[in-house]
Amino acid sequence: MNFDNSKEWHWFKGGILVSLLSVATYFVFAAIAERNYPFGITAGFGFIAGKFGSLFEGLNENPVIKRFSEKPDAFIEFFLLIGLVIGGYAASKLSNTFSPETIPVVWEKYHGKSLVKRYAFVLVGSILLGFGAALSGGCTTGNILQGWAHLSLGSIVAGVSFFAAGIITARILYPKTGGGNDNN
Amino acid sequence: MTIINILFGLAVGFLFGYILTRTGITKYPRVMGMLLLKDFKILKFMLTAVTSSMILFYLLGDLGLLKVVPKNLDWGKLVGGLIFGTGMGILGYCPGTMAARIGEGKKEAILALFGMALGIFIYALMIKPVKAAFLSSEINGDIFIQLGVNRWIVIIPAAILFSAIIYFVNKKFSDDKKNF
Repeated sequence: MNFDNSKEWHWFKGGILVSLLSVATYFVFAAIAERNYPFGITAGFGFIAGKFGSLFEGLNENPVIKRFSEKPDAFIEFFLLIGLVIGGYAASKLSNTFSPETIPVVWEKYHGKSLVKRYAFVLVGSILLGFGAALSGGCTTGNILQGWAHLSLGSIVAGVSFFAAGIITARILYPKTGGGNDNN
Repeated sequence: MTIINILFGLAVGFLFGYILTRTGITKYPRVMGMLLLKDFKILKFMLTAVTSSMILFYLLGDLGLLKVVPKNLDWGKLVGGLIFGTGMGILGYCPGTMAARIGEGKKEAILALFGMALGIFIYALMIKPVKAAFLSSEINGDIFIQLGVNRWIVIIPAAILFSAIIYFVNKKFSDDKKNF
């Protein structure tokens, strides 16, 4: 399994760097996009959904489509998304961890090689992710990395719900590794 | 202005993606390991970032340099959060890490990107009933207004609590153990 931990940064270093990035982006967002919130991810995906939706005349007045296709912060976060892809590419190339992979190795070990099965799970999972992020007003980045730092009541409830549902789902998908005192 | 927006987006995304991938936050076994309560590197990373940001944001706020605007609480936060968490458990990573994973060469993340956008599109189509059911009323998300106390009376215990959780899981669980 290519799970080489020796090349990873320490969690403390990564965490501090992310918090400095959050503070820095707050000021730039305030200056160029008239918003008082650090960076998030969901609006970048929302931009794709919004541009797609604005192709349909009947959806021109839809508040969600309008918000994501017209507001400048969604435009910025769309490019943030592209930057994330490039950043992931650069980091994995520089640390020699770039690895084209069709299915996660762990998934294959427990759920088999079937591409159709894994892709069906990916599609259902990501649709739920998109719907849930839109409804709860942000993803792990917006609601936990930023929202918990602001001690927002809304984000505390959202973030705890992420974990509660995630933990239950993970136990259903991996009942053997998840149960009891199995330390293997 | 457009070019500045594009460059700013690309730069922040690049740095965030670089940090996520380099720290190992994007790995499927790490995300699932956290949800199975066996690998806490991501939790330690998150709580470090949260604690540091919390102190920085409120210090800068006290200096009058910025204003923190908390997210309000409505039923969407709970219901949307549960839907999101289910999706995260099924998929094995979250939206930001998904994008970085595309860069790492993980093909299925491309499908996930379209799925996520589709999920938001479906949300847009259902906005009327969803709004009526979950977003019709909200309460102010500012915990200091709700409790009526000085903000540092909440921030300092929160920082101690987060640090204690980091200390505890760091002592009890190794980051290098293979859990699968």
